[in-house]
Amino acid sequence: MKHRLPLAVGALATALALALTGCSAGTGVDVPSGGHTILRAAIAGEPDQLDPQKTSSYFSFEVLENVFDTLVEPDENLEMQPALATSWDLSDDQLVWTFHLRSGVTFQDGTPFTAADVVYSYDRIIDDKLANSWRFSTVTDVTAVDDSTVTITVSAPTPNLLSSIGGFKGMAIVEKANVESGDIATKPIGTGPFALASYTPGDSIELTANPHYWGGAPKIDGIDYTFVSEGSTAIAALKAGEIDWTDSIPAQQLDSLKSDDSLTVGTTPSNDYWYLAMNEKRAPYDDVRVRQAIAYAVDRDAIAQVAAYGTATVNELAIPKGSAWYTKYDTYSTDIDKARSLLAAAGVGPFTMDLLVSSDYPETVSAAQLIADELQPLGITVKIRTLDFASWLDEQDSGHFDMLMMGWLGNIDPDDFYYSQHHTGGGSNAQGYSNPEVDKLLDAGRTETDVDARKKIYAQAATIIADDVSYLYLYNPSVIQAYSTKLSGYVVRGDRAVRFRDVSLG
Amino acid sequence: MTMTARTPTLRFVASRLLYTAVVLLGVLVVVFALIHLVPGDPVRIALGTRYSPETYQALRHASGLDRPIAAQFLSYLGGAVTGDLGVSFRNGQPVTLILLDRLPATLSLAGVGVVIALVIALPLGTLAALREGRAVDGAIRVVSQFGVSVPDFWIGMLLITLFSAVLGLLPSSGYVPIVEDPVQWLRRVTLPALTIGLVAGSIMTRYVRAAVIDVASSGYVRTAESKGLGRAVVVGRHIGRNALVPVLTITGIQLATMLGGVIVVEVVFAWPGLGRLMYDSVASRDYPVIQGAVLMIAALFLAINLIVDILYSVIDPRIRLS
Repeated sequence: MKHRLPLAVGALATALALALTGCSAGTGVDVPSGGHTILRAAIAGEPDQLDPQKTSSYFSFEVLENVFDTLVEPDENLEMQPALATSWDLSDDQLVWTFHLRSGVTFQDGTPFTAADVVYSYDRIIDDKLANSWRFSTVTDVTAVDDSTVTITVSAPTPNLLSSIGGFKGMAIVEKANVESGDIATKPIGTGPFALASYTPGDSIELTANPHYWGGAPKIDGIDYTFVSEGSTAIAALKAGEIDWTDSIPAQQLDSLKSDDSLTVGTTPSNDYWYLAMNEKRAPYDDVRVRQAIAYAVDRDAIAQVAAYGTATVNELAIPKGSAWYTKYDTYSTDIDKARSLLAAAGVGPFTMDLLVSSDYPETVSAAQLIADELQPLGITVKIRTLDFASWLDEQDSGHFDMLMMGWLGNIDPDDFYYSQHHTGGGSNAQGYSNPEVDKLLDAGRTETDVDARKKIYAQAATIIADDVSYLYLYNPSVIQAYSTKLSGYVVRGDRAVRFRDVSLG
Repeated sequence: MTMTARTPTLRFVASRLLYTAVVLLGVLVVVFALIHLVPGDPVRIALGTRYSPETYQALRHASGLDRPIAAQFLSYLGGAVTGDLGVSFRNGQPVTLILLDRLPATLSLAGVGVVIALVIALPLGTLAALREGRAVDGAIRVVSQFGVSVPDFWIGMLLITLFSAVLGLLPSSGYVPIVEDPVQWLRRVTLPALTIGLVAGSIMTRYVRAAVIDVASSGYVRTAESKGLGRAVVVGRHIGRNALVPVLTITGIQLATMLGGVIVVEVVFAWPGLGRLMYDSVASRDYPVIQGAVLMIAALFLAINLIVDILYSVIDPRIRLS
C-alpha cells in the first residue's frame, strides 16, 4: 500500500499536467482541422427522438429543421413559400388542393423523392393517429396523380392548409424505408440541406452537408449539436470559442453578453405568448367581473420585466404587433380602483387563490411572486403552487387550479391561437370558457377563404376573448440566440426555426 | 490459501448474490409502484400541447399503458429477469442499450472523481490528525468544512469560468470516450471530476482525520512507539493500515454516490452520464428508462458494497467474511 499510493498520485499529477499543457500548446480548443468548417451549436436540451412526425420536443426540431423539408415552408415573415412543392392550385369550390412537386430532388440516401413519398408521409400521420393528425382534421384524401403531382381533398374550405402542412417540420416528408426499418427515431433520412452523420445519446448529434440539396449545397461542411442545458456553461463555451452558436441563454446574462464584442446577440419578437387563465368552473372565477378585476390589477410591464428581463413586449392579446393578424387592443391599463369596484360589484370579499406554475418554466415562477404581491391589495391571498411540467399538466387537465400561468409557442395561423383554447369544449380549453358568439366566429374563421374577411372575424373573436378574460394575456417573449461574429448569413426567426443552410463561418 | 479459508468465502459470495437478487427485486417493486403513483402522464408529455383524443388513445395503447397495472408489472418483471428491460417511451430504443451507452461516461467521472478525492483526503486528513489541535489541523478543518458546505454546481461554474473562459486551458463541457482519444477524454473529464472530487475529498478528509486520530490513540501504536520504531514506520504500517478500514467504507459510499449519478454536476458540464439520463427520463415520465436506471444504480451500489466487504478482509485478516 505504501508504495502504490504515491505512484498513483504521481501518475495522476503527470497526466493532469499533460492534459493542461497539451491544450495550450495546440491549436486551441476543438478547432476543426484541414480547412473544414463545422458549425458547433449548443442547444439547451437533448432531443427525445429524431422522427419528425412523432416528436414534440423543440430540441428535436432544432436539429430536424436542417434535415427535413415540408411541401411549403414559412419565410421570415411567416408567409408560406415553395419548398418541396414549387407551386399549387386550389379548385374553384376550394375543396381540392393540387401541389406540383419539385423535380430532381433526392433523399440523403440517394432515393428519388416522388409524390408517393408525400402520400406515404401524410397517410402515416393520419392513419397512425400521430400527434399532428389534428392538423389534417378536414383532409379526406391525399392522392398521387403522377410522380410529381399530389392532390389533397378537404371536406370544407381550409384556408390554413398551407400553414398546417408547412408551419413546422412535424409535417416533414419522410422516407418509407427509413420509417419501416425503425431507423428514423435515431438515423433519420430527409431531403434537407444536412444529413445525419452520427448521434451519441446524451452528448451530441453530427450532421454533414448534403451536396445534392435542391436549394444548393450548404457553405459549411456540417453541424455539431451538443446538449448544454446549463446556460452559464453554454455562455462560457461560446466566449471561449468552443462553440459558435447557442440558444441556452439565461435571460439575466443578456446584458453581459451584449457588451461582448466577440459575440452577436440576436433577438427578435416571437409569435409566442404567456398568459394567465382562471378556472371558470370554480367560484368566484365564473363571474366575469372577478376575472376583469384581476386583469386590471396585474401590471404587465412589471411582470414582463421580472420574467423576461426586459426582452419581452407586453400585449393584451395573443398575436404580436408585426404579425399580419395583429389586432390593436388596449383595455386593461393597471387600475387598482377599477379592480376594487369590479370585485365590490361582484359581491366578492377577500379570498384565497391557488396559482399553478411550473418549475420547468422559470418565468412562470418569477411572475407568480409578483402577481401574488399585486393581488394582495384586493384582499386576494395567492398561494403559489410550483410543480414540474408533467405534474402541472395533470393538475391543469383535471381542473385542480384557481389560476395558472403558461405560454403557447410556435403558433402561426390565428386558428392555432384561438380555436382549441377558447372554443366551447376545445381540446386546450382547461379554463372552461364558453361563449356561443366566440364559437360561431371561430367556426367561421376556419372556413373563411377571403383574407380580409378572415382578419375581421379573428379581430372580433380576439376582442371578445380578452373582454371576457378567457385568457389574461401578458406578453410576447423574444427569441434570444447568441453566436460568434464569424457566423454570417444567419437569421434569428420569430417562429424559432433554426436554419443553418445559408450560413457561412469565418 | 487453505480449504478452510476458501469455503466461508464461497459461501459468503453465494449468500451475497442471493441477497443482491432479493434487494433488486425489492427495488424493482418500489420503483414501479412509486413512478406510477407520482402524478404526470408519459403519453401526455410525449404528445406536447395539442392532440386529438384518438391520438392519445393510440399512443397509450402502443405504450402498453392501457393494460391493468398488475399485468404491466408482471410482463416487466418477466422481461427484467431475462435481461430485457423494455423500450423507452421516448424513442423506442431498448433500455438496456440506453443504459450501457451512458455507463462509460458515468464510470469515467466517478473513477477519476474518487481518485481526486483520495488524493486530497489521504494526505490532508492524515496531516490534520497527526497535527491535531495545531494551526495546520485548524486550517485543514476550515477548508474541508468549506468544501462540504459549498454547492457542487457553484464549484463547477467557478472551475468553468477559471479554466475555460479566463485561462482557456480546458474545455467547459462535453465528453469523449477514452478509447477514442485518451488525451481529450482526460481533458474533458478533469473539470467535472475535480468538482465532485473536491466535494467528496472534503467529506473524506474529515473521515480520514477521525480514523487516524482514533487509531493513533490506540494501545498498539503506543506500544510500537515505545519499542522505538521510527515515526514513518508507525504512521505507515500501524496507523495507516488500521485507519484504512473506515476510510474504505466512506470511499465506497462516495464512489457509489458518484456512480448513482451526480445530476447537478452532469447538467452543469453537459456530461452524458446516468444522472442526466435519469433527470430527462423523470421529466418525461419515461417509466422503462427510470426503472432500468434505478435497477442499474442499485446493482452498482450492491457491487461496490460487496467489493468493499471483500477488501476489509484483505486489509485486515482479523475481519472474517460471513
